Amino acid sequence: MTAVGRGTARRPISANVAQVGAALVVAFGVIAAGAGYWQLVRSADLSSSPDDPAVIAAARDTPRGLIEDRHGTVLASNKKDADGEPYRVYKDKSMSPVIGYASRYYGTAGLERAYNAQLSGIARSDPLAEALRKFQATPYDPQNLTLSISLPLQKAALAGLGSDRGAVVMLDPRTGQVLALASNPTFDASAIADPATAQEAWTAVNADPAQPLLPRATLGTYVPGSVLKIVTAMGGLDSGALTAATKFPQQPAAEKNGLVVSGFTIKDGHHPFTDGTVLDLPDATEVSCNIYYALAGLKEGGGALDSMARRLGFYAPLPFDLPTATSQLTNGGGPLPGGFLDDVELANAAYGQGETLVTPLQMALVASTVANGGLLMKPQLVTAISGRSGTTTIASQSMGQVLSAADDAVVKQAMMQAVEGKYGRLFTTGAAVPGIPTAGKSGTAQLGGTGEPHSWFIGFAPVDHPQIAIAVLVEHGGRGGSRASPLAGQLMKLFFDTEATS
Amino acid sequence: MTVRPAALPPIPFTGIRPRLRRRESVLIALVAIALVAGDISLSATHEIAAGGPPTLGIADPGGLAIYLAVLLGVHLAQVLAGRRTDQVLLPAVGMLGGIGLLLMERLPQDLVTQTIGGRTFGLAEIQLAWLVLALVIIGTLAIVVRSDSWLRLYKYTWAVAGIGLLILTVLFGVEVNGVRLSLRLGPITGQPSELLKVILVVFLAGYLSENRSLLIEQDTRIGPLRLPPLPYLAPMLAMWAVALLVVIVQQDLGAALLFFLVFLLLVYIATGRRSTLVIGLLLFVVGGLLLYATIAHVRTRVDIWLDPFSDPAGAGYQVIQALHAFARGGLVGTGLGAGLPVVSGRLPIPEIQTDFPFAALGEELGLAGILAILGLYLVVIERGLRIAAAAADDFRALLAAGLSLVVGVQAFIIAAGNLKLIPLTGITLPFISYGGSSLLANALVVGLLLAISDRGVESPPPPRPARRSPRRLFGRPGRGSSGGAAAGRAP
Repeated sequence: MTAVGRGTARRPISANVAQVGAALVVAFGVIAAGAGYWQLVRSADLSSSPDDPAVIAAARDTPRGLIEDRHGTVLASNKKDADGEPYRVYKDKSMSPVIGYASRYYGTAGLERAYNAQLSGIARSDPLAEALRKFQATPYDPQNLTLSISLPLQKAALAGLGSDRGAVVMLDPRTGQVLALASNPTFDASAIADPATAQEAWTAVNADPAQPLLPRATLGTYVPGSVLKIVTAMGGLDSGALTAATKFPQQPAAEKNGLVVSGFTIKDGHHPFTDGTVLDLPDATEVSCNIYYALAGLKEGGGALDSMARRLGFYAPLPFDLPTATSQLTNGGGPLPGGFLDDVELANAAYGQGETLVTPLQMALVASTVANGGLLMKPQLVTAISGRSGTTTIASQSMGQVLSAADDAVVKQAMMQAVEGKYGRLFTTGAAVPGIPTAGKSGTAQLGGTGEPHSWFIGFAPVDHPQIAIAVLVEHGGRGGSRASPLAGQLMKLFFDTEATS
Repeated sequence: MTVRPAALPPIPFTGIRPRLRRRESVLIALVAIALVAGDISLSATHEIAAGGPPTLGIADPGGLAIYLAVLLGVHLAQVLAGRRTDQVLLPAVGMLGGIGLLLMERLPQDLVTQTIGGRTFGLAEIQLAWLVLALVIIGTLAIVVRSDSWLRLYKYTWAVAGIGLLILTVLFGVEVNGVRLSLRLGPITGQPSELLKVILVVFLAGYLSENRSLLIEQDTRIGPLRLPPLPYLAPMLAMWAVALLVVIVQQDLGAALLFFLVFLLLVYIATGRRSTLVIGLLLFVVGGLLLYATIAHVRTRVDIWLDPFSDPAGAGYQVIQALHAFARGGLVGTGLGAGLPVVSGRLPIPEIQTDFPFAALGEELGLAGILAILGLYLVVIERGLRIAAAAADDFRALLAAGLSLVVGVQAFIIAAGNLKLIPLTGITLPFISYGGSSLLANALVVGLLLAISDRGVESPPPPRPARRSPRRLFGRPGRGSSGGAAAGRAP
């Protein structure tokens, strides 16, 4: 082919110019598409992120929405500093583990973080309203939150914990509404929010070895001890491995000599009470027989226990307004169903030792499920969000029927015996609310070493139509019956004296 | 006289016949309405922010009046001079410049200050002064330039001058933000690379038009590739390499990218050879990889582009903040003056007035405003390329095309950088960004485009036979110009 006179060579400049022009049109189209991506597709998530300067500026200029308890008491409000910029003021230290803080310098935590978009007023409820926001006089609409918490109960729970570290969860088993979510020690959120004291308070609270910033009710995980037996009972009844009448003939002898499982001896120390009696499920629950529950766990197997625990919310963060730690029966990875390493671990887990770790909120949900006839209600803190555009009420939600009503009645009966029974009341001193049939289970979580065990109690009342479920954990509080049980009874009594409506 | 409005009485002492420019006058009226509306909106936003009810005021009546008056003055000067230049370019550029002026009025005035004779001028005042000067340059070039020989004949002189300017900058430049990009002359600092882009286009247009037929019709074969003859490409490549090298030494990536793309596209327009594009893109990839491997500055820019969120408070800060600004804008924007939230007395994006006006406008005018601004740039490009396609000869066609490309490619590079489509480079958004060098250089571009667009200018010289050393040394005798309508269309 000759080099001269090819077709392209004859094309006039104007044709090439048109091609380059077309290329530029395409290039500008790409820019338009890029702008569309950031301004439409990614608009909502980027512009409402806590790192967006508009969000930060809104927090500086616009007072955040108020937070109220179930009685309308304002728990979080605003003041203005010398420059006219608002900052948060909190009503009571007992609420700090729930509400958290909103600080100009240290960000947000707790509900202040979870509901930051609503409280600061940048939440985008409706795309059309959002697009037209520029035409409104005040661009931000801070929303108020109404909580299901009762401040008097919350304060009483914190006071009851006294100088002990621990947590209290109280909720309405019928709705899942949380009435108290206390954690001790707590901190002064107002001091962190106040620009004048923020730095000092922040440094102090972070240096405190008691970890006051850890909300123990939701993010603390603890060995449960005997309160976990309720999960074992539920799993066994549900799978059919256990009934109310299930007995283990070898149990009395094993109480005296220990139960040998794969060469490992499980001992228990309550035989003076029952003296050789072969116990059924309610009786074994009443006297908190470890041997019975070890045998029950082995009989129902890891699969049934694991399945029940998962339905109750173990092994995943709970669906809740605040972040929660996950509860577990085992570290997993073992060959047995449910991930247990061997029968020894399974037997230990069945009465709440081994590698079991739970949050107080999770154990409150176990009590709540039993109280509510086997129907687990989603735990709920925020019941209403209200702003300029009106009030949104957040309805309670079910998480499913975990256990049949018939099987649940057996667990109820067992838990009632554990509080009201002749032997049971020795283990759950003071848990019974005077004049109101009360059900529950204490726990004494052995930690190894020389420290005092964690003291647990979970329960509910009244037995027939429960209105309140409770979980109490006192770190190193000793036996469940000596520390957690009386506190639970006292708080439930306060509930019936001041809160109960029907 | 009364029947034909175009035939106004001639101005007796010059013999120039005034000629109405209806289209331009209508468009300038629209521009004025849009800018006044923008300034009213800005004023209302200020009043709302101050806590009062908005009234029908203008935020900066004096500045806007001066700007619109000068824009009208340039229009009227062309009317009086009777020039038949393009009537869309000036309003389009006037609108872009006006948007820039509104943005500078809206930004904090102390972002840039200059004290002359005891009086301190703020951001908008300085920008207005440069805009007025730019409009005067546009008008002057459009009216005064009646011959292109001063560009056509001295292309090598221009090239040498441009490179000299760059070398001066490297040797005697002033450091701004750690980069030596500016030359200081008295109270004024300028960025020579802005001027250099115009000089580059003038040189390329001259060289390519002179050697066009040879570049098209002779081949250098490398395997399956057919390339233009090497000897004719050598001076051009040298020019490109020198410009590129100096720019890389100065770490001005935006200008380097602009020069390279304009060079490549202009060679393609002149020759129509796809192989030049392929080779150019290969060179670009190889060069890019080499620069990435060897120059830390380049590596940083590319890494930020790939993942700005890995260092959101440090290196990625500017880019992320720009994306947040676009996101806050949404479809219709926050309104002029209502965006760009200030935290602790600082605007969300550093260097917003020079490097990120596109993001600022994206926030305050929304996607709608962004599309309108992109549309205005496309209008400028379309008019420029139209002028190129209709030009009287190859030199004017290539000059007009190159000048349009300079504006279009530069707008693309910085807009795409703002949107994280390509790595961010620190070049200006033409006509909108703050800065004298950029405004004046782009005024040269528009002024020259207007001058070329006039059918009434002096007809180009007849095509000359081959001359100068490269052909005698390496090539065969030229066969004369084969492209373009060489015949003049003088009245």
